[in-house]
Amino acid sequence: MKKLFAAVNILIVVLILSIPVYAGVPMATVDATVNRVLDVLRDPKLKTPAAKEIKKEKLRVIYKDMFDEMEFSRRTLTRNWNKFSPDQRVEFVNLFEKVLERTYIDKILDYSNEKIVFYKETMLAENQAEIQSKVITSSKEIPIFYRMILKDSKWKVYDVVVENVSLVQNYRTQFNDILNKNTPEQLLEILRKKVKEH
Amino acid sequence: MAEEKSTSDCSCNADKVVNIRLMNIICYVKHFARLVAFFVFLATGCAHSPVQTASTVSAGDVSSPPQVTEVVSASLTSPAEIPDKPENKSNGDEEYPDDIKDEQTATIADPLEPFNRAMYHFNDKLYFWMLKPVAQGYSSVVPEPARVSVKNFFSNLGFPIRFLSCLLQADFRGASTELGRFGINTIWGIGGLMDPAANKELDLQKQDTDLGLTLASYGVGHGFYIVWPVLGPSSPRDSVDIIGESFLYPVSYINPWYYWLSVRSSEVVNATSLRIGDYESLQKAAIDPYVAFRDAYIQYRLKKVKGRNQSPEKAKPQDK
Repeated sequence: MKKLFAAVNILIVVLILSIPVYAGVPMATVDATVNRVLDVLRDPKLKTPAAKEIKKEKLRVIYKDMFDEMEFSRRTLTRNWNKFSPDQRVEFVNLFEKVLERTYIDKILDYSNEKIVFYKETMLAENQAEIQSKVITSSKEIPIFYRMILKDSKWKVYDVVVENVSLVQNYRTQFNDILNKNTPEQLLEILRKKVKEH
Repeated sequence: MAEEKSTSDCSCNADKVVNIRLMNIICYVKHFARLVAFFVFLATGCAHSPVQTASTVSAGDVSSPPQVTEVVSASLTSPAEIPDKPENKSNGDEEYPDDIKDEQTATIADPLEPFNRAMYHFNDKLYFWMLKPVAQGYSSVVPEPARVSVKNFFSNLGFPIRFLSCLLQADFRGASTELGRFGINTIWGIGGLMDPAANKELDLQKQDTDLGLTLASYGVGHGFYIVWPVLGPSSPRDSVDIIGESFLYPVSYINPWYYWLSVRSSEVVNATSLRIGDYESLQKAAIDPYVAFRDAYIQYRLKKVKGRNQSPEKAKPQDK
């Protein structure tokens, strides 16, 4: 009887221990980064219009830390990546980053105390995870998913999925379309123009 | 004298006849449009190969990046072709790795591209010159909670189409949820102005489905991309929903047509007023906005098709 009791105990302990534990690290990483962004945006010292540039600079630092822009660029170009020379790649990554910055910085600076909730972490592969979050405004909820990759023991974002539309895939379709008819150099020219026109 | 009277009668009658004729013509045009849309659907959507549907999507796939077998970008090279030159990593010299190969791009055929591009520009002008200014003016007058209520009201009227779609998809849980929502929101939500059914205790969430998704659940492919004037991006399959709406959406039955038009316009203006800026930001971010919107449309729809095909149990997070 005692043996049986012990066996059951051991079984219970084993079962408890083997309950899958969430990695949790990717979500914690994104959560912390987003909070850093919010800290900058809420900073009362930076509320003046003059401080906009300081804010931008601070956000740029966080962005570099949060995103794996190389991974991001490669995934948007997929096989076209191989058509680019190393110099062109560097230029592409820089231009693409500027395009994104100019597009989204105003949106981010417009932030006005919407609630951001992180609620789910899914492992896509051993070194990839998807973090689901939503931005709750007074009239709607916007689902935003971050896809992350583990590189050099650091989780970095390589894709953002807003309302089920993957940013990487959206740009991939566009770049594919352009590169079907044009050379990498011509694509870079289009991007240069795009950066200038803002 | 008698003659005069009869002629004046005649002209009066003629007026009436013209009026009735006009009504008839409008009616015919409406029906004709429905028929044309239906034939377009028959001619295209049905002939398409079926999508990979529910049964083939295993639970493990739930969280994987969009794997679309329907129309895969034709020129996707095999992994063997991707060279493996080991170069300096930090300089952006890394070759495109083959571990991304499963992340295929969802695409949609676009044989009508010149027409679609023209329609895209038409809709774009319509938005920036008419819809947006009107919606901005409207939103500056009407406070946001009121606009949310109006949105809820119209959303509540969309019950028949969602209910029927759920039934046709054999999603009885969804259908009963919709039925419950409609009852509760109509009675306790003051005719649908509020959404008490969605609160935490009842938790009856709106079933985000339509007839296009119903056809998708039967394995009908989306066909090709089409941009309708005013109505925007669609596909032959999803256009079925436009036809279905003209039968199942109560607003479509409003007579005469100019009442219908004004109710419908105010619905659109109201919905737009809650989303000002979304369109602009996607457009601003795009290198080729037309392609960007096409891709966003197809990604959005495919995700919805996938979402409908998974029961909530399966959608639980994978734990590794």
